[in-house]
Amino acid sequence: MSNQPSALVAANVSKSFGGTQALVDFSLTIAAGEVRALVGGNGSGKSTFIKILSGYHRPDSGAQVVVGGVTLSPGDPASSRRSGARFVHQDLGLVNDASVLDNLAVANGYPTMAGTVRGRASRAAASRTLDRVGLTIDPRIKVERLSAAEKTGVALARTLAGLSDGEVKLLVLDEPTATLPANEVRQVLRMVHAVAAQGVGVLYVTHRLDEIFELGASITVLRNGHRVLDGSSSDMTRHDLVRHLSGSELDDARDEADHTAKVREDLALEVSHLRSAQIDDVSFGVARGEVLGISGVTGSGREIIAGLIFGRERSTGGEVQVSGRRIRAGQPRESIRNGVAFLPADRKVESGLMDLTARENLTISSLREFWRPPLFRRRRERAEARAWFDRLGIQPAGGEELLFSKLSGGNQQKVLVAKWLRLRPGVLLLDEPTQGVDVAAKAEIHHQLLSAASTDAVAVVVTSSDIDELVAICHRVLVLRHGRVAAELAGEQITVAAVTKQTLVSDGSGQQILSEVL
Amino acid sequence: MDRPRFRIQLGLDRFSGLYLWAAFIVMFTAWTPLFFTSATLHSVASGQAVAGILTVGLLIPLVAGAFDLSVGATANVTAISVVQLQTLHHLGIAWSIVLSVALGALIGAVNGFLVVVFKINSFIATLAMGSVLAALLTIFTNNEQPSPPTDPAWSRLTQQSVGGFQIVFIYFLIIAVVVWWILEHTPAGRYMRVIGSNTEAARLSGVPVGRWVWISLICSGTIAGLAGIACSSLLGPSLTFGQALLLPAFAAAFLGSTQLTPGRFNVWGSVIAIYVLATGIQGFQFVTGVQWLSDMFNGVALIAAVAFAGWRYRAAGNRLRPRDWSQAIRHRSADAHDAPESGDLTAVSNGAPEVSQAEEK
Repeated sequence: MSNQPSALVAANVSKSFGGTQALVDFSLTIAAGEVRALVGGNGSGKSTFIKILSGYHRPDSGAQVVVGGVTLSPGDPASSRRSGARFVHQDLGLVNDASVLDNLAVANGYPTMAGTVRGRASRAAASRTLDRVGLTIDPRIKVERLSAAEKTGVALARTLAGLSDGEVKLLVLDEPTATLPANEVRQVLRMVHAVAAQGVGVLYVTHRLDEIFELGASITVLRNGHRVLDGSSSDMTRHDLVRHLSGSELDDARDEADHTAKVREDLALEVSHLRSAQIDDVSFGVARGEVLGISGVTGSGREIIAGLIFGRERSTGGEVQVSGRRIRAGQPRESIRNGVAFLPADRKVESGLMDLTARENLTISSLREFWRPPLFRRRRERAEARAWFDRLGIQPAGGEELLFSKLSGGNQQKVLVAKWLRLRPGVLLLDEPTQGVDVAAKAEIHHQLLSAASTDAVAVVVTSSDIDELVAICHRVLVLRHGRVAAELAGEQITVAAVTKQTLVSDGSGQQILSEVL
Repeated sequence: MDRPRFRIQLGLDRFSGLYLWAAFIVMFTAWTPLFFTSATLHSVASGQAVAGILTVGLLIPLVAGAFDLSVGATANVTAISVVQLQTLHHLGIAWSIVLSVALGALIGAVNGFLVVVFKINSFIATLAMGSVLAALLTIFTNNEQPSPPTDPAWSRLTQQSVGGFQIVFIYFLIIAVVVWWILEHTPAGRYMRVIGSNTEAARLSGVPVGRWVWISLICSGTIAGLAGIACSSLLGPSLTFGQALLLPAFAAAFLGSTQLTPGRFNVWGSVIAIYVLATGIQGFQFVTGVQWLSDMFNGVALIAAVAFAGWRYRAAGNRLRPRDWSQAIRHRSADAHDAPESGDLTAVSNGAPEVSQAEEK
């Protein structure tokens, strides 16, 4: 295969958003037939890199990306596709209630005669395509009946459908196994190798450490947009990886958390035997003044537990008590009335009012104090908004009347944090509070959470995929696995290594190996 | 980062309606001596009053992200009911009006029920309701236009002259002020705007979404009822005027959302839009005398207004209008490409949450 051009040669790729550098002078080469794991925490820049490869983002000038010997024109998805780069995203993008055959043909067309689909020929072509990833399933069955690994296989096969060997140069898989059980992960890895064996370079993005070693791939580690490690999995230990994945940027927050901790005796929040589709019997309590972190991989229940406690959706069992009072399930209004606040992860969809002003976003949590019928005290509202802008250093100063969508991500998030702090909640639930937020805003939000806990005795619950963040600000960390609390770490036990280990280990065997290493 | 926009500017976009209005007036004054007279002023002012009442009523659900396409039919129903209560049931004018307004409110309440409890898209529910009302109207009238009440007080109700204007124009201004107060100066208005902006965020902020959407539809039904009564007194109990007013009302509401506070449905922008359109139509009518002007004007205005609002928004650097009407009836697609992700400050989520309401009880 040495006579083939490299599947990917990326050099000097940088990308900044506003003032934030998401990717700094990144270079990566993948040979034809090579499987390369790209590892990095939240905000490390790995997704930004993928989006540059797909032409979704245009890199800063000076970057050069060559796929299979063809130089990509930056920010042009068509050029990326022509060069032979293909992408499988985490959600796969399959149509669940259509057959495997239809899913494969949607992208590449059916064999037809006089405009009519030739059934048998279509099935034969589909089976051949599935063969190439090592899948033997009847293409007529519906996708929804497949196992998770088989679905991933269909998505892989779809990228190859209708193309002969060698036309696809680079296959990018974005966390394909994030929600898969361990036994199915192996099946996916086999399929990935089957594709690579045909001379396709594979870029495999993951944050599960145990599968990297099983993948037997070369590894590139990204942190805060910088490449921090490049090597072969056989040359490194898990320990190296964990060490490189975490950084020291959040030491200030860690200091503050250690020195101001004032965890009270009484519980502000008690969750007992909570259940839902993805949560299987979770119980814990949070004391006033405590910052509790919840870790877990995607699919572990981490991303829904905070919303479930708040009542974004209805739980199917168990109960939530706030200061000893039981809260009815699925009732955001009642939760708020009982002093529970919830900041969802997705600003654009679940918390931000993009076409209203920053002031309106900030005050919506309670308008009562501005309402003296028949007049709405706009001036008082403005003064309050301005005070919060000052207190959290929200930029631009005096930007209360700007449209919310005009603020940067970090400032938007600060406005939303302020919106809930205003209510002086007893319990503050935050899902990914600093996702997509620049470093300065991150530090400010952490400071606000810690000071709310220590001075106002708020019970703070942070669910986050950013382990550094949890380690920096939490007094106690719960790790969820398959909808259950799998581990609890407190005080000195909370280290990046320990939380990473508990979070990323997906089954018993991996845990054994890991505990020897760490 | 954008600076706050406190530059002195002519406001060519925010006030484009006013500029256009001035241009029309200058142009037609120069063109025909018929135009710049107090008679024209008075006839344009009160001639648009009924459409204006309907428009400001329509704004309330629009602000909350719901369509009320049944306002035309509702106005028709109350126009007939207010007459029949007087002529067939021999009720006084006051009682007839009260009962007819209540009927409008009831229709709004049924719309709200369909949208909030049955979770039918408001566009569909009120479109269907309009058709049902038209059918009911045919049943109750036998498709014959009832004769208007003979009591002169009935026509004086709207035709009384106040400073040269028919009093219906004053009613319109009063209703506009009330709706403006509700939308801009009460928590109710704020809640509706928040719901219209992002239903899910509103719900998670503790706003009772279903309740306010329901109330907004009751408001539009009630005000449509008033518009029907006014029209009936002004022009007689027509069976068809309401449907003819629906499109101009929507045109004015959307055109109004490009004025004064662009991107927001607002009362005074809509009032300006109504009179700019009416002035243009009146002027061209004087000059050309053709019949098709008003349909053409209103249709083009609606298309232009919505296109312009979308263009303005995209030009401001946003990939998607938060409340993109074309997206409102589509489901959010789950494309991993667009999922918000760390380190990516420009990640844009796909489309707006649906307009259909998540109800909480």
